[in-house]
Amino acid sequence: MNIFIDRMNRTPKVSFYFLPLGLLLLLILPLMVRSNAYILQVFTHALLLATLATAWNLLGISGSISLGHAAFFGVGAYGSALLSLEGGFSPWLTIPSAGIVAAGLGLIMGLVCFRLRGAYFALATLAFVEIPRVITDNLDALTHGSLGLVGLPGLPSLHLGSLHIDIGSNMAASYFLVFAYFVILLGISAFVFRSNLGLALQAIREEEIAAETAGIKTDTFRMLSLLLSAFFTGISGAFYAHLIRYIEPGLVYGLHFSAIPMVFAICGGRFTIVGPALAAMVLYPVDQFVFHPLLPAGHEFLYGVVLILTILFVPTGLWGRLRKAF
Amino acid sequence: MGALEESILILLQLQALNKVFDDFCALNDIDFSVNENEIIGLVGPNGAGKTTLFNLISGRIKPSSGKILFEGKDITGLKSHTICRLGISRTFQSSRPFPQMNTLQNVLVGHIFGKGFSFHTRPKDLQTAMELLEVVGIAHKADTPAGHLTLSEQRRLDLARALATRPKLLLLDEVAAGFSPVLVKQAIQLINRVRERGVTLLIIDHFLNLSLKVSDRLLALDHGEKIAEGPPHTVMRNRDVLHAYLGMRYKDEEDD
Repeated sequence: MNIFIDRMNRTPKVSFYFLPLGLLLLLILPLMVRSNAYILQVFTHALLLATLATAWNLLGISGSISLGHAAFFGVGAYGSALLSLEGGFSPWLTIPSAGIVAAGLGLIMGLVCFRLRGAYFALATLAFVEIPRVITDNLDALTHGSLGLVGLPGLPSLHLGSLHIDIGSNMAASYFLVFAYFVILLGISAFVFRSNLGLALQAIREEEIAAETAGIKTDTFRMLSLLLSAFFTGISGAFYAHLIRYIEPGLVYGLHFSAIPMVFAICGGRFTIVGPALAAMVLYPVDQFVFHPLLPAGHEFLYGVVLILTILFVPTGLWGRLRKAF
Repeated sequence: MGALEESILILLQLQALNKVFDDFCALNDIDFSVNENEIIGLVGPNGAGKTTLFNLISGRIKPSSGKILFEGKDITGLKSHTICRLGISRTFQSSRPFPQMNTLQNVLVGHIFGKGFSFHTRPKDLQTAMELLEVVGIAHKADTPAGHLTLSEQRRLDLARALATRPKLLLLDEVAAGFSPVLVKQAIQLINRVRERGVTLLIIDHFLNLSLKVSDRLLALDHGEKIAEGPPHTVMRNRDVLHAYLGMRYKDEEDD
């Protein structure tokens, strides 16, 4: 029994404080940069990508690599955009609805692609993105096809008693809204990872046959992790639509939004709670502040290089390495 | 009266079980029953169909025809996790630990999912898992990743995880293959300890280093056919069994 007692009483490692410290830094960032619009915009986008990577990792923990999350991102973006534009609903409603639409698409993807494993699953999901993209592209009457949707409503206003904040037109308010979503998602992710649901998903990842034999309903758990992942990816897509206020099929269904969460997850540390988000919060600002001015056309080569270096030298990812070192 | 008593005691019943892979018949018309709290040794040469039989009972594959009854209930074609929850657990010929989880977590998985699902691990669950590690004798490795255990320790872990699901029937696939005499002796003690917990055992034992000592009955298979069943020493003197293990010449010499 000593093991448990040891585990309880162990003084927390230095790395234990990294997460609260990081969140605190992000919380006071708008003050530090004196609401510099450009810096705030970059970090708002970085937070959004961090939610994307965290959502991707909710499926990643079960061992499945998806190259098709742009499908959920795009459907979420279009779902929320059309509901608010055509339906006239408030983004407060359309953003969660986008998550439900994306989860519905996740159900279809799961039924089709979960018959496959490993690289075959990844390739099937890559192809799967084409289905919602082609549909969106050709439903001209509703989506305006490849012209895209312009003039989307921005992030909605917040009324708290006499307090009235127009989040859409306030850069700092937008930042805080995305930050709040990021913190909530991180909390949900931590809950999944730490609960026995996470234990089941880890068991499935490490030895599926043994997991099934030990009584784990592997199909149900895999589907559950995909639905959660798709739901939050859809919400991230919706946030994106209302932040940028312009979407087109080639953009939101692009390979970029399928690949980038995977890159962040691997660089930050797959199978960790904060790793993917950490990588997003480090790599995207570095990319935007350093490499974009240097190489406007090819700045994204950074992600490829970092991915290869991570796989070769830091297989446990940035967060895995930090935790080990401190 | 006798018939009634027997029907209560039968835990597992195989009825005319067939498994055909493409055009290869792995198991042909197997009829067999296992009584409660019995230890059955499943013997036979390579390719006899022993592991196929385990895969059928544990639900990893479906039979081509025939029925499997567990406690009188038809479990033919059910999925592995359902069969586990009904009370049949198994170990694997080459053990299948969750390599990056520590040993304790491995057992915890069996304990938590073997009979249902609870969202959070209670201290009591950890305690039960720890006790099982003590039963199989690897409690001192509780914090070690399962991938770092030795072969013999991994087999023990497999057994502990299987026991953690609280089975009524436990299928052990080659628990002692490749073991030294000392380890075999420990395995025998372990199996007797498991039986004392009220678990019925079906043991695959290709090399016969275990089953002759612990089994109440043997079931001998060869080329997918049942060639003998009964008390160990009767089965081991059976001519078909000798033939299967030692080859044609031995049988010929007996004929002379």
